This record gives sequence, structure tokens and C-alpha cells, in this order.
Amino acid sequence: MGASGTVSGPDLSVQIGSLTLKNPVMVASGIFGYGDEFRGLADYGELGALVLKTVTREPRPGNPPASRTVETPAGMVNAIGLENVGVEALVEEKLPLALSYGTAVIASIAGDTPEDFAACAEILDDTPVSAIEINISCPNVRKGGMAFGVDAWASAQVVRAVRPATRKPLIAKLTPNVTDICAIARACAAAGADAVSLVNTFSAMVVDVETRRPVLAANTGGLSGPAIRPAAVLRTFQVARAVSAPVIGMGGIWNASDALEFIIAGASAVAVGTVLFADPAAGNRVLAGIREYLVRHRLDSLQELVGSITLRDGD
Amino acid sequence: MTTREGPSQPTAEGTDGRLVHRLEAPILESARLPAGYHRLVVRAPAIGAVAQPGQFLHVWCHDPTTIGTPPAAAVLRRPYSISRVWSGEAVEILLQVRGVGGRMLSGRRVGESLDLIGPLGKGFRIHDDLRTAVVVAGGSGIAPVPFLTETLVARGVRVVALVGAADDDRMPFPVDRAEPGRATLLPLEAVGAEVTFVAEAVEGKLVSEALEERLEELSGPGAEVMATGPVAMLRQVVKTAGESLPVQVSLEERMACGVGACRSCVVPVTGAEGIVYRTVCRDGPVFAGGEIAWERLGR
Repeated sequence: MGASGTVSGPDLSVQIGSLTLKNPVMVASGIFGYGDEFRGLADYGELGALVLKTVTREPRPGNPPASRTVETPAGMVNAIGLENVGVEALVEEKLPLALSYGTAVIASIAGDTPEDFAACAEILDDTPVSAIEINISCPNVRKGGMAFGVDAWASAQVVRAVRPATRKPLIAKLTPNVTDICAIARACAAAGADAVSLVNTFSAMVVDVETRRPVLAANTGGLSGPAIRPAAVLRTFQVARAVSAPVIGMGGIWNASDALEFIIAGASAVAVGTVLFADPAAGNRVLAGIREYLVRHRLDSLQELVGSITLRDGD
Repeated sequence: MTTREGPSQPTAEGTDGRLVHRLEAPILESARLPAGYHRLVVRAPAIGAVAQPGQFLHVWCHDPTTIGTPPAAAVLRRPYSISRVWSGEAVEILLQVRGVGGRMLSGRRVGESLDLIGPLGKGFRIHDDLRTAVVVAGGSGIAPVPFLTETLVARGVRVVALVGAADDDRMPFPVDRAEPGRATLLPLEAVGAEVTFVAEAVEGKLVSEALEERLEELSGPGAEVMATGPVAMLRQVVKTAGESLPVQVSLEERMACGVGACRSCVVPVTGAEGIVYRTVCRDGPVFAGGEIAWERLGR
């Protein structure tokens, strides 16, 4: 029974390792800042979890400005470059505000070395965050980030380093910019990740034809938004079949139907990202739609839906 | 049509004390203006009551009822300076019909609504001892000037507006050259500014050069420059006037969230510990001219 559900409503709760979320709708990392910026624009406490912007051991300035973001057909490309206040400022200044929403808060961490990740996790272990997401998939930093996430051994090395540093559930955030995302997912799960989340953004470039230069100051960035949704659904489907750990699916979710695609394909939970820039209440809208769908299909629990896809004969 | 100003979402006070509203605001006027500009006036008393000059609205370009459908284009909101506030009830934006978002918005009609978030950002600081505001605007930087002027005039401040564009036909307002030797914009005069319009093609100079010519005359206790326009112009204004007068500049940058979360729209600011990045959407769009690290700004 979800904490926010009514007595007669369907059970929307989700289990991620030792963590129980009251419902499957999360806000993806990097969208929501540290939680306070969007305050007042929706009831974020209603959602299953809020994943905060990735932090590193020390603060980082991120990529140069002008531009860090550019809109594309049905999407956007960003190259923020992990600008962040550092894990200590997160804990001291930002976390209390995020926790005040009254729902699960998940921290996201990154680093240049496995030890950096472990150091962040150790600091977060003493805080009320509900879980830690290991960001081995940021395409916008030269060191760390996706450099780990494109290699199964390196990914596992990071998860193995973080595992003993915290009792919190660990979520490995995967990049789609690989040949075999299932191999990475398996390596992370074997190394101790309680769940995997995917996808991070697809590597991308936008060219200004007048200047013949990339629009983004970092030259390349990561594509998100509705444009990537079908590609993200496929990877969610593949990974959900490759690992027994729960999968958190994301990539271009705009409405409840989009979210249900991920769930039916195998995701235990979903995250909204880019859509929040258009509709700050998108997570609430998606949640309401999922609940309505379960009622309409006479399903008592979300679990009945997870991975319930029936493949067609063509395969 | 309904005159509902239906807040589609709860309005609440952020922990930093600011009031943000998201609402579906009925369109009261949608009018084509010269030079590819368009005026949209919406009924939004909640925003009109608290808006400050220099603040902006984050506008969903599509019909509000389509918010649940992923759009093929204009996925992101568009930031527009608040151009006028009418009796605290209605809010006006001036947009350029250029690019997909502007084209969509210019097609929106009276009777429809706009999904708005605002007022956002920090506007111009109007200090109690301000006596003369030298408002310098270039090109589409004209957008916030009517609201700024009205607010300043209401507070007893003399407004000297120097407005520049490439040519007479590049302004949303008709250029009046009835008085020999001085071009003006009547809509800006109507709200109380002493206006000098400078067309580069006619006057043979830039608005920043016009500022330089009048700097000595306008300088003095209680005088301040408030500038809006392209980065090159702002940089020149700060260079020209920064030594003699305080200068505030309104910056633009590509934006996604509009509330300081995504860190897309940062600009380099010189702080106590070197260069730091500040967001145009939340820390700005108005900054002190002297705090911007101009050499690091620009594409």
C-alpha cells in the first residue's frame, strides 16, 4: 500500500534494495537542482523520489557558458559539465531543503577515481538520503563520468569501491553510449548495485552553420527529451531481462503513457527529466495517469505491470 | 471566453522568499508590430501585482491544454521580459517572430490562454537615492524598457532613454523624426521617458557612442545607467560609463528551467575568490555591469 494511496487504490509502491518508494515516479538527476529551485511549482512531496543533481568531492565550476544547452527537435542537448557545490555543501546547505518535501531523496555522486565516489558515499552515509545514485554516465566531463560507464570492468570497479563505504541502497546510472549496455548493467549488479537506472543522455552535437562551430561551448553534449524515448525504452527492456536487480527507466518521458511503456518493458520505477522544464508538474501528472491506468485495467499493484510485455512473433 | 485566471498549479513562496506563479493567463491582445515584433497581453493579476522591471516570464509556446503531449518542436519554454504591466492586472510581452517559439506564440489568439511561470529572476535595483536613470537599449533590448520607464517615473526618477537599432525600420515602435535633429519613439515618451533614438544607418553611430557624447551632461549624484541589449553593446556601455556611473545590465542566455536548477544560462561573474558562474534566470537577468567578467562572456 503506497503511503499516499487511498485504501481502495492500487499499490504503487516500489522496492529498491532495502528502500521502499511510495510510488514509481522519480525526478531524474540534473533536472531539479538540489531540490529547492522548483519549490512552489508542484507538490514534489507526492512523488516517489527526488534525485538531486550530481555532486563531486570538491565543488566544480562546470563547462564554460554560452552555450551549455540548446533545444533540438523534440529534445535538447546539454553540456553543463557537472557544475556542483560539492558533497559537503550539499549535505550542509541543500539537503535539509530537499528533505523538507517529505519524500525520499536520492543523492547522485560522481568523481575522477573510484576513491572519489567512495569518499562522497561515505559522507552521505551519515545523512537521511534514501539511496545513492552512482553517476558513471555523464557524457560532459573529460575525466570520470562516462569514462567509467562505457567499460564494464571500470563500472564495476566504481561500484565495488562505493559498496563498503555506505549501507544505503546503491543505484548505478548507465550510459546508452555503449555497444552492450547489458554487460555494463550485469557488471554493476554483480559488484553490489541494488538497482540500475537508465538511460543517461545520448552523446550529441549541434553545429551553428553560420559560424561553422558547435553551438555548445563544450562542443559535444547529451541529447534528452522525447526524441530519445524509443531508444531508451529498448535499452530498459534489454537491461531488465539481463539483470535481476530493479531497473529505473527514463529517457524522454512526457506523460503517463510514456512512463507505462518503460514499466511494461521492465522498469520497476521511472524518472521524469527534460519534461519538467516545460511542465514543472509533469511528475504529478505522470503519477496520476499511472494510477488511473491501473484502476482502468483492474490491476491491484504496479508490480503486476512491471515487465509484463508480450513480444510479437516477429522476434 | 472565460476570464478565469486559473492557477493550474499551487502558488507558493520559495525558501528564498520569492513568489512564483504558474498560471493559465487569458490572452487579451495579440498584435503584429513592425519589424517582425509581436505584442501579447495576458490577464495575470497575480504576476502583475508583484512583477519588477527586468523580471521575465517563462512561456510555454503551445496551447496549455497540450501540455501532456510531447511537442515535436519548442520543447522548452521561452523567457520574455515583462514589457508592460497594465493597472496591475494585465502583463505584456514583446516578442520577435523569429524561430519556432516566436512563430508559435505570434499565432496565439485572443480567447486562448498562455501557460506562464513568473515573475522570474531579479530585475533592476531601484535605489532610493536614484534621481536620473539613463536607460540604454539596443535592438530587442527595448522589450523591458516601457515597464522600467513607467516604474521609474512613478517613483519620481527622471528617465533619459537612449535607444539604438540598425535602422529606423528595425523597431517595434514607429520612429518619429518630426523634430529636426532628434529622433524619438512616441510610445516611450508617452510613459514619461526623454527619448533619443539612434539608428546606426541614419545617425552613423551606435547607441553606446550616443551615451558617450552625453555622459558628462548626465553624470552626477543620483544618476545610474540601466542597459539592455546585445552583449557587445552592454560591454561597450560598461566600458564607456562604468568609470563615471553605476551601471546595471540585463543579460540574455540560452535557458531551460528558468528557476536556477539546470545551470544552463550561467554567466561569469568576478567574485571574491575569482570567477564564479551565476545564472541569468535566478541570479539575474540584471547584474551590476562591473561584476561581469566580460572577457569571458560571449560566443
